[in-house]
Amino acid sequence: MKKLIAVFAATLMALAIAAPAMAQAETRIHLIHGIPDTAVDVYVDDAAVFEDFNFGDTQDLSSLAGETLVNLQVRLAGTDTVAIEAGDVDLPASGNYSIIANLDEAGTPTLSVFANDTSEIDAGNGRLQVRHTAAAPAVDVKADGAVAFSNLSNPNEAKADLPAATYSVEVVPTGADEPVVIGPADIAVTDGESLIVYAVGSLEGETLTVLTESITGLGAAPAAVQTGNSPIDSGTSMATVAALMIIATVAVGGGLVLARRTN
Amino acid sequence: MKRRLALIILAVGLVLSACTSATSEGPSEGAAPAITTTTVAPASTTTDAFPSETPTTTDGRSPLAELVSPIGSAAYDPRDHVDNRPVPTSISIDEIGVVEAPVLDVGVEPDGDMEIPGASDVGWYRFNPTPGDPGSAVLAAHIQYNGKPGVFRYLSDVEVGDEVVVHFDDGSRTGFQVVELAQYDKDELPTDRVFAKDGAPMLTLITCGGDFNRSLNSYEDNVVAYAVPISA
Repeated sequence: MKKLIAVFAATLMALAIAAPAMAQAETRIHLIHGIPDTAVDVYVDDAAVFEDFNFGDTQDLSSLAGETLVNLQVRLAGTDTVAIEAGDVDLPASGNYSIIANLDEAGTPTLSVFANDTSEIDAGNGRLQVRHTAAAPAVDVKADGAVAFSNLSNPNEAKADLPAATYSVEVVPTGADEPVVIGPADIAVTDGESLIVYAVGSLEGETLTVLTESITGLGAAPAAVQTGNSPIDSGTSMATVAALMIIATVAVGGGLVLARRTN
Repeated sequence: MKRRLALIILAVGLVLSACTSATSEGPSEGAAPAITTTTVAPASTTTDAFPSETPTTTDGRSPLAELVSPIGSAAYDPRDHVDNRPVPTSISIDEIGVVEAPVLDVGVEPDGDMEIPGASDVGWYRFNPTPGDPGSAVLAAHIQYNGKPGVFRYLSDVEVGDEVVVHFDDGSRTGFQVVELAQYDKDELPTDRVFAKDGAPMLTLITCGGDFNRSLNSYEDNVVAYAVPISA
């Protein structure tokens, strides 16, 4: 019997240890097409994985986590023309990543990999992650008129947790007020949600725009619900009432004295 | 005699309102957001020197094609983010004398606690679902605030089966039926359940209860009533 209890306790302890590990976010790997006006086919080891993949489309690669994508090529749709020669790409075995086919600063197609921040967000806040994946120089990102992220350049990201609200966002060249190259656009920052915004396209080609994805379920609940700051009257004992009456009398009396003095 | 008692109550009320630290001033919007920036370079793709064999199907499609799935467009559409839920405006719980008590939408205090309006109002946590939608819709009100009975003064007297009616800003109303009552030490409030953002529709009514801690001006417990929509 004692042994059984010990086994039971050990099992409970094992579960307790396993639980936090299991609570970690599931593996999520998304591939986003972030090159305007360029339909492509994606090849691994000379075989098509998906074809006619268009600007803005997203593919879920989560079930390929941990795999090596041998000789990954992005080809112009329906042709043998290789737009991105990525070589062998190891996909992470776990975690939360976004891969975007985008233009680098000079306008050459490339693949960029970003690790997504899935840490807990305070109650009432949302997360904004902004990624510069466009053929454009460094920019400032303004929210409601004030610079929120400054001097962001391809292929970098900036992020902040903000009170949940809708912000008017615009993108301008670093240090300048204009021209506004993207926006102004209303961007909703939602409680418990990470909104990831990609600046994509080309400044020269006049195709600058944004793509977005979001990760939900990151929010914390309020710390507490404080719904009472004084005792309910029915529970007040007569002794308390008497004590409070004395205090009240002194207080009122003091108030009267003070009032008389000021007269 | 009655008059004297009333005077005593009045005096007690005065002292209490003078003694209590009135921290909650009802719902208020937070100050301008302080934005901090961190810049992170993306992880680079790594090259594997040991390419594995990936068999190719006869039609030239990779077997990996079966494992990937399209998940729609990443184009940003502000209309996806428009909040057009009906908003609760009042609540009635006949059995405990709550008659169309005003409901205000509330958020979070700077210290992380849920915002709670004054004694005569109920707070709806706007970051959770609206009542009747999937997940837990949270309505909280005081038991006693600055010496005045709160809207949920008698929430602990609610019984399973009692009806709760919520009115919305679009003129509609939804009836709920209490299915469970619970009292938790405040430190043990099951926030995962109370503030669940999805799952079956649940109306979660919260107030305080248990012993009153005079040094903290706070009750030890939360009293929670869970209610589900009455199917038509």
